[in-house]
Formats: sequence, C-alpha cells, structure tokens
Amino acid sequence: MNIANIVLCGLGGQGILFMTRVLAMAAMDKGLNVMGAETHGMAQRGGSVISHLRLGEVRGSLVQTGTAHLLLALEENEGYRNIPFLAKNGKMFVNTNSLHFPRQEVRAFLDKREILYRAVSAGAIALKLGAPRSPNLALLGFFSALNEEPLSHAELRQTVDKISPKKFKGINLKVFEAGYDKGKAG
Amino acid sequence: MNRQEILLGNGAIALGLVESGCQVVASYPGTPSSEILPEVVRFVKSEGLNTYVEWSTNEKVALDIAFSASITGKRAACCMKQVGLNVAADSLMSAAYLGTVGGLVIIACDDPGPHSSQTEQDTRFMARLAKVPVLDPSNPQEAREMVGLAMDISEEFRIPVILRPAIRVCHARQNISFGSIKQNNLKASFEKNPLRWAATPRFRLVLHRELNNKLKEIGDRFEKLTKFNFHNLEPGKSYPLGIIAGGVPYAVIHDILSEESRTDIPVLKISAPYPFPEGLAAEFMTACDRVLVIEETDTVIEYMLRNKEKVLGRLSGHVPPEGELVPYVIYDLVNKTLGELKLEQLNKKTDDQAKELVETLELPVRRPTLCPGCPHRASFFAIRKARPKAIFTSDIGCYTLGLNLGAVDTCLDMGAAITMAAGFYHSFAQDEIQQPIVATIGDSTFFHSGTAGLLNTVYNGARFILVILDNLTTAMTGMQPTPALGIRADGSEGTAITLERIVAGCGVDFIEVVDPYDIKKMTSVIKKATAFMSGPEGGVAVIIARHPCVIAYPEEAIPEKKKVKITDDCTECNFCLERFECPALFHDPELGHTNINREICVDCGLCIEICPKGAIVDA
Repeated sequence: MNIANIVLCGLGGQGILFMTRVLAMAAMDKGLNVMGAETHGMAQRGGSVISHLRLGEVRGSLVQTGTAHLLLALEENEGYRNIPFLAKNGKMFVNTNSLHFPRQEVRAFLDKREILYRAVSAGAIALKLGAPRSPNLALLGFFSALNEEPLSHAELRQTVDKISPKKFKGINLKVFEAGYDKGKAG
Repeated sequence: MNRQEILLGNGAIALGLVESGCQVVASYPGTPSSEILPEVVRFVKSEGLNTYVEWSTNEKVALDIAFSASITGKRAACCMKQVGLNVAADSLMSAAYLGTVGGLVIIACDDPGPHSSQTEQDTRFMARLAKVPVLDPSNPQEAREMVGLAMDISEEFRIPVILRPAIRVCHARQNISFGSIKQNNLKASFEKNPLRWAATPRFRLVLHRELNNKLKEIGDRFEKLTKFNFHNLEPGKSYPLGIIAGGVPYAVIHDILSEESRTDIPVLKISAPYPFPEGLAAEFMTACDRVLVIEETDTVIEYMLRNKEKVLGRLSGHVPPEGELVPYVIYDLVNKTLGELKLEQLNKKTDDQAKELVETLELPVRRPTLCPGCPHRASFFAIRKARPKAIFTSDIGCYTLGLNLGAVDTCLDMGAAITMAAGFYHSFAQDEIQQPIVATIGDSTFFHSGTAGLLNTVYNGARFILVILDNLTTAMTGMQPTPALGIRADGSEGTAITLERIVAGCGVDFIEVVDPYDIKKMTSVIKKATAFMSGPEGGVAVIIARHPCVIAYPEEAIPEKKKVKITDDCTECNFCLERFECPALFHDPELGHTNINREICVDCGLCIEICPKGAIVDA
C-alpha cells in the first residue's frame, strides 16, 4: 500500500473525532505513519464536521478532492456533501435511516465512478443498545466487516477495546459488534 | 522502538516545550491554540516536571508572565490564538526592544479560513511589525522541532521569537516518537538594570539599534537554516517556473509534486520568513524565469522578493487573496499557472462533476447552533421576550450563536459587548433617544476584558442591561476553568473570584443572579432591570444568568430529566424551530408536525415552556 486517504464526516457532537482516533491508532500500531486533520471550535457545535486521515508517507494533513479511498459519513447529507473527495473506485459508508439511499442522481454518479456505497442505520443500532450517542461505533463496526487491509475487523476491535474509557468499554464494544454483524449480514 | 503517540499538532508543540526545558508556560484559550497548555500539563504530570503552568486571564497577561520568567533567566512560553496576539501586542512590541535573558517563545496560532476566528490575519506580519523572528511550521513534527530552535535563537540573541502554527498544524494529528525529557532546574535570578528593563524613550533608541543589529545577525542565520529554509535546485540548471512556499502550503505542494513526480518544478521552502533570507531567495529567483509564491494567509514572502517581474502570487491574481489554501485550491492554481506559462500541466485526477453534483442536491446548510439543553438558549429566549426592540450587543464565545435566535446583533472583539453597548447608548442619548440595549457576554470573556469596559460604563453613565452568561466554564474552546471556579490549569486549587464581587467592585448598583432555566423568572428579572435602568437614579443593570454548561456538567445541568413529547396540538407554526432553534426539534414530514430527535435530545424540558400552543408536554 502506498498512501490511504480517508475522510470522515457528520455533524458536531456525533463522535467523529473518536472514530478517527480508532482508525489512526489501529494504523499506527501496524507501523504506518499517520497524518490527520480535525475540526475543533465553533463548528463542533452541531455544524458540519469533517476529519481527514492519511496513512503513509505524506507531509500535508488534508485529503485532496478526488483522492479519498474511503468516506465514512455519520449523516446522509454530510456524506453527499463530501462526495467530491472520493476517488474513482472509492468506498462510501453512510449512517442513514432512509430506505432510499442513495438519492437517484447520486446513485448514477457513484455507479459511473465505480464507487462502492453501503448504508446502515447506525443511529438506530446504537439507540437500541441504549447508547444513543454512539452511532460512530456502529458505523465503524459496520465498516469493519469489509475487513480490508490495513484496517481489519480484529485490529479495529482491539483498538476500540484499548482506547475506550473503562466506563464505556463494554457498551462501545457491544455497539461496534452490532454494527459489524449488520455489515457481515448485508 | 521509542514510545510513540498520535499527537495533535498542539500536543507536538507542548512536547517541544517540555523537551526544550521550558519552565513557565502561560496561555489564554482560543481556537486553534487551546490544547497546547493542557498537553503541557499532561506531560508535566507524566514526566514529573515542576514546570509552572497557568491559564492567564488574557493574552497580554500571559505574555507578561512569560516575559518576566524569561528575564529571570528561565525558558518561558505563552500560547494564544492569532487575535490574542492583538491583545498582547502592546507587550510584544516593547518586549522586542527590551530583549530577553532565558528563551522566550510566543506561540500565536493562525486560522486561515477562518474556521473559528474574527479575522484571517497573518501573524508573520505581526512578527515583522514587532521586529522579532518568526517560524512557520508545515506539520506537527516540524512544529515540535521549531519550538526547540525558537528557544535556542531567543536565548542566543536575547530576543522573543514567534512560532506561528496555522490551524492545519495545530489540529493536525501525527504519530510522534518521544525523546528524552529532562527537568530544567535553573533557578530564577534578576539582575537589576533599569536602563534596559525600565528604559525611557532616550534608551529605547539605543535598544532599537540593538534590535536591528540582532535581526541582521539572525537574518544571516536564516540564510543557512537548511533544515527549514531550503531549495532543491540542481546546480547550474535553469527552470521556467519555481515555487516558493512556507508553512502548511509547503506540505501541500510537496505532496502534490511528489505524487505527480514533477521533479522539473523546483521548490524553495521558507519556513523561517523573518528576518527574510534574501540571499537564498535571490539564488532561487536567478535560476527560475518565474516564481509562484504560495503562502498563508497574506503576502509576507511575496512582498520581500525583489524582482517583482518574475513573481506570481496574490498581487498578480494567481493566488486567492482570502480563504484557506486547501489542497484543491493549490492544485487548481498551480495547474492554471502551468497552463498559462504553456508548461506541462498536472495529471488532473479530479474534475468538477462531483462538485456540480453536490450543488444540484441543494443540501441543507448546517450552521453551528447552541447545543440541546444549552442554558444560553433559554437566556436569549427570555431576553428577546422581555426586550424585543433592543439592540443586542454580544461577544466572543458559544453564545455568539445567539445570532441564530435573533438575539445577537453585534460581535466585534473580546469585551465589546459592554463597550459597544455604551457606545450605542451615548450615540442615541445624544439625540435624546432612549434606545433599549441588552449586552450579552460570557463568564470567561468577562474575566478576559469585561472589567475595563464595565468601569468605563459606570464612570461615564451609560445605561443598558448587561447579561453575563455564566455557564461556569470556557465552553467554546474546550471547557477550560475560569477564575470564578478557583481551579488552576494543573487542576490544583486556586482562589475563586466571583463575578458578583467584580461587578460590584466596578460600581454597579443593580446585580441579580438568576437561573435562566427558569425562563419566567429570567424574563421578570430583565423587566426589573429595565425599571432600574430607566429610573432617575438608574445606571447599567447587570444580570448574571448562571447555569452550568450542558457539555461540561451534564449531570448538574439537567437535574430533573423531562421526556418531552409533541402532541397533535402542534400546528406547525414553527415558532420553536425559529425562535428556540433546538437541534433536537425538527420538522417531520412523515408525522405531519414537529418532532423530537431522540438521538440528541438531552431531556432538559426547556421547550415545554416556549411552545405557544402548549403542544410540547412532559410525557
């Protein structure tokens, strides 16, 4: 692998920074160099939030449009908003309750670019397990079912286990695994 | 293998500070600088250092604290956001003349974008204005190394040095290997020398000459600072186009050119831009027919280049004069310039189709809003209800978002809620107009720069209502303690100073403390304040709206959880969506009326009170 570019997005308060941390730590533990960019400050108050993560030998922290291999969106519209980052053949995982994902005009575009897209009700999974603030872990678990290098399911699970605060470790793993099961089944 | 951690750029800077033996660090929080001091505290604790740390009441205070430490021979630093350096500018300009003893590093973090600031100002210009050296890192690892270099230069030449990381350094994350961290046990000593440390104007001239000489020497040093100022010209070769870049744009251009294997375009990196490495720049300019200058956010390097005919940049219209230089902007402007010069263009991987698609989707604009359960929302609702015709002056913090609720009309700078209210008062009073004015300011902002304005208000007899929105923390920047809490930067106990005491000390005669969660009570207190203010003996009336921040104190903020529901009495009048704007309330087309988003509702129950139809109820 040369360089992997990942974009994570959603709304402030949805736990994008934690999701980014899991991916970054898992990559570092494999000996990869990690560079990322986060949103702090005013936008964290419910605004559009985006986090960039780059694995490999890079100097800059921002992903260039048209070069992201992976887009993880905690909210459907934010997912659409960040489509320009996706590379041809990229992959897109979105948290949405909509049965009509992706919107028709988007679907045509994604198909043309041979972009893989998958949707999951990560919010509903988390809510059902009594953790309404953890759609991030459900989406991460869902993505982990892809089980692709450099971020396999086992490695991501191990990282969630390692960096979750003690108090939330149990529930975090439960939500992560529920997302994973959904990903495997679909 | 060495211990490795993924650090925020601000963490890498903090590591650089403790590695360099910095003994005193003072800061006032402000995006994107806020995490530096907490990271210093973390390292101080994990490594058992005795570094003194403090959250100062403002940036000028922080710089003065660090300066004093420096002239006792210690290594010291202060950290702030770029506009914080405006507050500390008085101190900075003078400190440059007086000089230092121990290393003094001023870390001022820029915000191209801007993402969370009033301006996109370029701190490198501030360094030129003050006549102090400035370093401009490209990523966290470099920022960490530059802290050490800045300390060394400061100590060797006895001059303050500015490190200006931009937001993409501060809030970048990178895996960093730890080196050894040793405690610096240098003892404080102060050698009296009033001719220097209390210099009168006559000696300031001498000090200015001394400063100019220092800069000349440091300039020579920056010519040979091959780690941060360098180019990749091949000897004897000439090029149609070269690129000059520093800081974050250098990292971006480096990645673009290396990914595209464009070894035909040489790059001069200038990350120590002042004093300007003239010789190095001239050498590069000689080898290139044209140079494209890519820097954030202003034209520091561009102005310094002598042969303007060769220079392409902001002044020639090749680089956007405002906004962040994100990768696609740099990619596009380089490509355009290559095309213009009839040179081989970049291997364009992106096109505009994706962007055009997104535009056609008409996605909702997600503006930042106050959090569900935020006590400020209740305060603003009550203020608008009680004083609908007022001019609402406000200030800098989460509560600036009161503008979504129509309860914020102005936001100038720290403390201006009070001073602008006074200015409005006098301007209207001059015409014998009684203009209602309600100022809102947060607790931390009030401590930062509220008192001078409040004293002035009382002294000069301005009349308005000042609401201090006291959520017991500095919320916007990440929940740093305020002086009212009596908790210091390292978590130890300090002396708590209450807002009431300060307000009374400023000579205010009307002070009421109210919990804004009781919207009715809050409204009636505002009416009482209005009566006082308008009375013959009236003056400024201060209301302290005190309720804990829902993020910092989730338990205390909502002592009694209310599971609200919306009944069929909802007529979709949208009053709650527009005037209350809780993110947990939304229009649900499937339900046919307003609904509650359970994923983000915090059960504060505040919306029960505001629905004009009584359709929001405790379930």
